[in-house]
Order: sequence, then structure tokens, then C-alpha cells
Amino acid sequence: MSKDDSKMDSVKYGLLKTIDVSGFRVFDPVVRLMFGEEPSKQVGEIVRYMIVPIIFVAFCVGAWAVIAPRHKTKAGRVPDPIQVWDAYTINDTLHDRENEKEADFESLGEQREQRIASVEATLKEKEAEQVLLKEKLSEVEISVKSQIDESLSPLTARLDALKVSNKKAEEARKSKIATLSEQVIDGTSTEEELTTLMAKNEKLKDEAKQEEKQVKELIDDVKSNPPKALKKTQMAYNALAIEIAHLNKRLDYLGKSNRGEKVAVAQAGLEKVEEKLKDAEKPAALLASAKSVVRSQEKVERIAGQSYPRGTTIWFQVWRSLFTVFIGFIIAALVAIPVGIMCGLNRVVMACLTPIISIFKPVSPVVWLLIFQIVVGAFFPNPDTHPFFVMMSQIPWISSLKINPAMVYSACTVAMCALWPALVNTALGVSSIDQDHLNVAKVLKLGLWQRLTKIIIPSSLPLVFAGLRISLGVGWMVLIAAEALSGSEGLGKYVWDQYQNGGSTSFANIIFACFVVGIIGFFLDRMMIVLQRSVSFDDGAAVV
Amino acid sequence: MSAKSTFEKLLLCLLAVCLTAAGNNLAFGVEPVAAPEDLPELELEKDELKFGFIKLTDCAPLVIAKEKGFFDEEGLQVEVTPQPNWKQLLDNVINGELDGAHMLSGQPLAATIGFGTKAHIVTAFTMDLNGNGITVSNDVWDKMVENDPALDTPTPQHPIKADSLKSVVQEKMDDGEKLQMGMVFPVSTHNYEIRYWLASAGIHPGMYTTEDIKGITDAQVELSVTPPPQMPSTLEAGIISGYCVGEPWNQQAVVKSIGVPVTTNYDIWKNNPEKVFGVTKQWADDNPNTHVAVVKALIRAGKWLDETDADGKLVNREEACRILSQPNYVGADFEVIRNSMTGFFVFQRSDKREMPDFNVFFKYQCTYPWYSDGVWFLTQMRRWGQISEAKSAAWYDETAKRVYLPDVYLDAAKRLLAAGLIEESDVPWDTDGYRPATSDFIDGLEYDGKKPIEYINSHAIGNKD
Repeated sequence: MSKDDSKMDSVKYGLLKTIDVSGFRVFDPVVRLMFGEEPSKQVGEIVRYMIVPIIFVAFCVGAWAVIAPRHKTKAGRVPDPIQVWDAYTINDTLHDRENEKEADFESLGEQREQRIASVEATLKEKEAEQVLLKEKLSEVEISVKSQIDESLSPLTARLDALKVSNKKAEEARKSKIATLSEQVIDGTSTEEELTTLMAKNEKLKDEAKQEEKQVKELIDDVKSNPPKALKKTQMAYNALAIEIAHLNKRLDYLGKSNRGEKVAVAQAGLEKVEEKLKDAEKPAALLASAKSVVRSQEKVERIAGQSYPRGTTIWFQVWRSLFTVFIGFIIAALVAIPVGIMCGLNRVVMACLTPIISIFKPVSPVVWLLIFQIVVGAFFPNPDTHPFFVMMSQIPWISSLKINPAMVYSACTVAMCALWPALVNTALGVSSIDQDHLNVAKVLKLGLWQRLTKIIIPSSLPLVFAGLRISLGVGWMVLIAAEALSGSEGLGKYVWDQYQNGGSTSFANIIFACFVVGIIGFFLDRMMIVLQRSVSFDDGAAVV
Repeated sequence: MSAKSTFEKLLLCLLAVCLTAAGNNLAFGVEPVAAPEDLPELELEKDELKFGFIKLTDCAPLVIAKEKGFFDEEGLQVEVTPQPNWKQLLDNVINGELDGAHMLSGQPLAATIGFGTKAHIVTAFTMDLNGNGITVSNDVWDKMVENDPALDTPTPQHPIKADSLKSVVQEKMDDGEKLQMGMVFPVSTHNYEIRYWLASAGIHPGMYTTEDIKGITDAQVELSVTPPPQMPSTLEAGIISGYCVGEPWNQQAVVKSIGVPVTTNYDIWKNNPEKVFGVTKQWADDNPNTHVAVVKALIRAGKWLDETDADGKLVNREEACRILSQPNYVGADFEVIRNSMTGFFVFQRSDKREMPDFNVFFKYQCTYPWYSDGVWFLTQMRRWGQISEAKSAAWYDETAKRVYLPDVYLDAAKRLLAAGLIEESDVPWDTDGYRPATSDFIDGLEYDGKKPIEYINSHAIGNKD
């Protein structure tokens, strides 16, 4: 019994420790509750620290859903949560479609036949659906048109009436002015009266114009806001048309653009020329045929080695961004930690580096990007054949990320901006080591290397990791901007492309990307917290 | 069922074409009649290519060549990726990140003569004619209407000249400010077009000098660079009061009702060359056969885009719009792209006009790299001071010849003709590269590519030699 209890306890405290280290302390009462520890207190904590925040977040989402559709500019409407969710599904579908096409391109034999059959069946279905939807669309279009005409006709009538009446009024005023001016000449009226009348006329004229403008705006409003029903049907139809195009493209990749098929065609060509080579009698013909055999062989080989030209999708971009940020982060850490330790150990080094750190720390990532673009570019005059990129394209997983100069200078920008927090924190960590520890080292007559590994690094680690955590956060933020500007494939480029698309779903896509960036950033941060806490001696609370 | 059978037919046709092409090669390999040595099978130096484009509808030939499988049929695996702006696109072509790209006509010329980034860029394919518009903000349009009551109808008479803009410009200058307008790149067609349009009404758009690389010296209207996709939002933000840009960014202004397109470049210069397919000289030298294969695919894409039925209706444009509206290509809404690409142009909500030649991708032998097109851009660079010193007429000719490569084009065309994929009349086989003199400009001046100096001197505003 007591053995069981202690076992349960060790599980419990193990779990609690894990939660604590990973920075998810909020789940602490849940674990305690599961083990039956002071249930009423735990429930109270759960309500306070879990339920209430969840309700609050739900409230925020609700407020977003209510406010967003009401907030519109000429550039578009703020998307509501449902539209953002739709953006997620669309992006995911795009990713799946690329996967499908890739599989189609590579499929062979029976599998290919099966795929063709299934795609053709779906295509048939969708085409039938399209016919129906097209009918519906034209119906909706007609009804909407009549609807718009209906709401427009009183407005245009009003505008026309307004124009006529304004014109009449103005003519009346003009004639009045004419008579008045005659009276001025006669001496029955003063010049002052004339000028005030004219000023009044100008004012009225402007007012009339304003009035007309208002009605015109109303008309424009009606015209520019087609009813929801039409937009919905249009969008449904467009989505279907895109899907049908996709299915046709798949058929293409299963048919004439299929790698196996292309190889087969090239192979047939090869056989033909080989036969020709055998039959050749004259030396000139022999030579020519031999040449074409070699050529055909090369062609077969080349085609067999082709890979599917994948379109970029968001999940690919996420991987690439993560890879880039880690490369940048590692470079930053490799530079920052040694330099930081030197600064912390030696005040002269610190004094030397202080001006450099203080000047370059506040420089914007955009500036760094432009500088690295030039600096890095000079190292890779011909990226296609440069040994570094050739090497990168041979490493299995990394080759799929398509390393290119744009990625290198994005990573350098990340490194440059992520460098400073780690450097400064390391220096601080080293210089604030307890003097007693150093004295002990002196007494023990430890060498420099031992002093470093036994005393200096271990005791400064918590601050070093605190710095690295800030660095990674900074790097992730900088990367998005760097990618947007440099056009290096990644989340930043995704956001920029969406902004440039300016389509009706672009805004929703941008907000979707905002969540993706945020959630990934959150997990990166948690990861650093785990590292930081696992090297800390004290039990200092992880800050959110 | 029907889908399958058409598909099979297509496959068979293709096979037949391939076989006949291959057969031609082999069967007549030693016979002198079919000019055999001229057309050996293309040995591709490189078969996985990466091309860049800017999100504009006139990137269509590249996208269509990929999506409709024309690249595939040449044995090319092509990736097309959007670029953030023209400068980055050019840099990526120069540093080898991209094999080639959809470029402004002025870009290869400017790069070759060293205005901006210097690099020898060449082109063997003109992607399209026309396709740009000038849009002004609602405010400016209201004032233009006030100045010229003839514009105050739902469908004003075209072409609309910049005359009614003159007092708006003056008013602004009286307030100590200058009217701001946007164009997409210093050596873009748009820059020269909006300058042409303004200058033809006597409004000075500013000169480039060796010190002033922004081109605003003596300007009455200041032009600044904004990437195409940002034009509508920059206009809406009030930073500029008008812009000259390609599609769909004029239509976007109509749809969002933030501006009014007043004129198109079709009115400024009827059938003016617009974008080219540019590669570096180095790339062209290293990959001569691949270059021909790429041009072949692009010619076929252009032809596909301009396919018409018996009534002259463009039959493939709707499908092209669907493809272009995908988020990885132009990404604007299908309805917006369709507004200008299917033979119409919407000037105001009330003013949708038929403009069958707003986008020309193949007609009028337009895909041929004409020297005279190159010379026109060079004359404009000289006119506005981007070329700082006077050059001889021979220089214009030589420079155009360094950049435009009709030989590559003709090689590709010959192969397509042999395969029966184009007509003999589609290509100017024996031209000297200069189109006949034309005066299809908004101000009626005559342009003859063989007399560049006279042409430069015929303008009222701008440098004279």
C-alpha cells in the first residue's frame, strides 16, 4: 500500500516537474486534481487560471467575429474567424494538391491506371456539378441585376431630378444677378449688393454640387456592393472551376507528362535509332546514327532523373523558415557566446567592443538585409554551380528545402539581429559570477580551461540561455521581415505574396499566416524555456 | 467519357507530332531537300529551370506555357516564382538565382547600357503588346471633369488627353506642392508612357540627370516608383494621386472604387511593346538550345492565348484568367482579371468598353524581338535624360542588336513551322528588324526606328540632340 503510494507520488512529482520545466505550469492543478490532492483548492485554481482565460479568449474571438464584418474599407473587409479558418483549409488543400500531382507524376503501372480511373470519375462528377452551378450562377446574376436596377432606378431618378432642379435654380439666380447688375449700372442698387449676391450664388452652387455628389456616392455604393448571394455563388463557382482545372492537370501528370510515360516515349525513340544504327551501311550514316543514339541515351537518362517541379505551399514555407531561423540562430550563438565570455572576463575587451555593440545593436534588420544581400551575393557569383550549393543539394532532407543565396542572406540577417541579446547577456552572466567562486578557483590553482568549464560557464549558463531565448524570439521576428523583403521562400514571402495578390481572400490569408507565425513563435519560446530551466540551479519561475 | 476520349485524342495527336518531328529528323537525315542540318533535335543543356515573374496579367505566356504543358513538351521542367519587385527580379536573374524572367522592355536595355544595375541581359521573345492603363484618384478625376464638361458623361470620348489635368497640376503648384503620381520602375514602359501622356499635354514630368536619379528635375508632376501590386493601396492612402500600371491593378481601382482609369497605353501608342522574356547573355551563351526550346514553348503559349473562333472572339482567355487567378500566380480575383483580359476594359463602373487589342500576346507578329522596339525605349531614355549624353544613330542600332536576339526566335519559329504548330504568316521571316514608321501616337508624331535622333528632336519637352 505504502509502496504504491510512494510510486504514485513519484509519478505525480515527475509530472509536476515536467510541467514546471516546460513552462506549462497552468496545468499543475489539473495533475494535482487527478491525484486527488486538495480537490476544492485545485478546482478553484483551474477555474481561475484556466476556465476564466479560456472564456476571455472565446470572448475575444466572439468580439472579433462581431466587429470584423462591420469594419470595411475600400480595400476590403476585415475577415472574420470563419474566413480565416477557410483560409487555413484552402492553404491545406493547395498543399495536398501539390502532393497529389507529385504522386501522379511519379506513379507507374497499375497504380497509375487506378489513379487515372479515380480522377476521371471525380472529374465527371465535378463537371456535372459545374453545369448545375453555372445555371444557378446565371440565375443569381439575373436576379441580382434586376435587384440592383430596382434599387438604382429611384436613385438615378432622384439624381436626374436634382440636376434639373439645380440647373433651374442656378439659371434663376443668374438672371437675378443679371438684373441686379443692370440695376447697379442704373444706380438703383449698390455694387456691394451685387458682390454679396454673387458670393451667395457661389455658395449655393457648391451646395448643389455637394448634394449631387452625395446621391452619386449612394449610386456608387449600390453598384460596388453586390449582394452576398452573388458573391457566394461566384466564389463557389470559381472554387469548382479551379478544382476541375486541377483534376485536368492531374490527368496530364498521369498521362503525357508522367515521368514513366515520358521515359517510355524517349525509350521508344532510342530503340528506333538503335535499329537505325544496326542497319546503317554508309560511314556517314553510321556516324550520324551513332550520334543520335548517344543523344537519345542521354535524353532517356535525363528524363528519368527529372523530379516534379513542386509549387510552393505554406507548409513547405514553414519548414524553410524554421530551417533558416535555426541556421541564423546557431551562427548567432556561436559568435555571441565566446565573444560574450571574453567581454565578461576582461574589461579591456569589453571596453573595445562596447562602441561596436552600442552602434550596431539598434540597426534595423532591413538595413542588415540589404547589406548582406550585397556581401553574400559576392561570394556566390554563380549559385547553380557553386560547390556550397551543390553540396547542399545532395544532403537528403536539406536538398528539398532548396538552399539558395536568398536563404543565406536571410539567415545572416537573422544572425546579425539575434546576436546582441545573447552577447550582452553572456557578458553580464560571466561578469556577475560570485567573486567567492573565482577565489576558490584561485586557491585550487585551476588553469584557464578548467576555470572556464568548471566555474565560469556553469555559473553563467542561466543568463546565457535567457539571452539565447530572447535571441531566438528576435530572430523569428526578423526572419519574417527579411523573407518578405528578399523574396526568400518562407512565411515572410507568403505574407508578402498574399498582400500583393490583393484578391478577396488575401486578407484572410494574411491573418491566417499571422496565427501560424505566432503559434510557431510560441513553441520556439517554450523550447528555449525548457533548455533554460534545465540548466538553472535556482527554481526561478519561468516568465511567460 | 468525353473527357477521356478528348484526352486520348490529345495524347495521340501529341505522339503523332512527336513522331513526325522525330521522323522528319531521322528519315530526311541525309536528304538535302528538307534542310536537315538546320533542324537537328535540340540537345537541352539544362532541363530544370526557374523563371521569375511579377504579379501582372501579362506574365500569362510564362504561366500558360507551364500550366498548359508547352514547357513539358519541350522536355523542360519549369518552376515559375513570383518576385517581390522589378529590381529584385533583375538581381535574381543576374546572380543566377533565376534562369530567366518576365521583364520590362526597358530592363534588358538599361542593364546592358549600365543605367541602374549593369549586366548584359538579352531577350529573344517579346511577351505582349499594350496592357497598361493610367488611373487617377477620384478627387483628381472630379476636378478633371470640372475642367472639361465633356468628360461629365458615363462614357466620355476617348482618348482622354492630359489637357484637363493641367489646371489641377497648376493649382497644386500654386499651393507650393507638386502633384505626385506613381509608376513601377525607372526604365519601365509605364514611366515612358505616363511621361509621354503628360508631356503631350505640355505638363513637364521631370528630367533625369547624372545627379538626380529620381527624375524630378524641373518636374511639374513628380513621378515615383511603387511596385505594381501596391499601387491601389498607395493611391488610397493619398501618397500618390494617380499611376500608370499594368493589369489587374487598374481594374482593382475600379472594383474598389478608389480611382478612375482615364486612358490605356493603347491610346498613347497603339500596339506598343510591353514585356519581354529576359535572360543574361552568359546564360544564353551557355544554354543556346534550351533557350530555343523555351522560346518555342513561349511562342506556343502566346498563340494559345490569342486563339480566336470564327467570329474573332478570344476563346482561351477565360481559362487563362482562371489559371492566373490562382494564388501562386497573379492571385487577384477571377472577376477582376477577367475585366481586362477577355477583350474588354472597364474605365468606370458605367463604362465597359470593347478593347480586343488591350492584351495582345501573338497577333501582329508581336512576339518577334523587333530592333525598332528597342530603339524606341532607348530614345525615351535619352529624351528623359537617363542616357546623359548624345549618342549617334548607329549607337541606337548597335545597342538594340546587342540586346535583341531575333536569331534565337527565328530558330524556334522554324521548328514550330516544321511541326505545323504555327503559320508561315505568323513570323516576319525576312525582316531587317525594323517595323515601318508609324504615327499611331496620342500626339500624332511619327516614329521611325531608323531615325532615332530626328525622333528625339521632334518632341517639345525633353532632351534634344
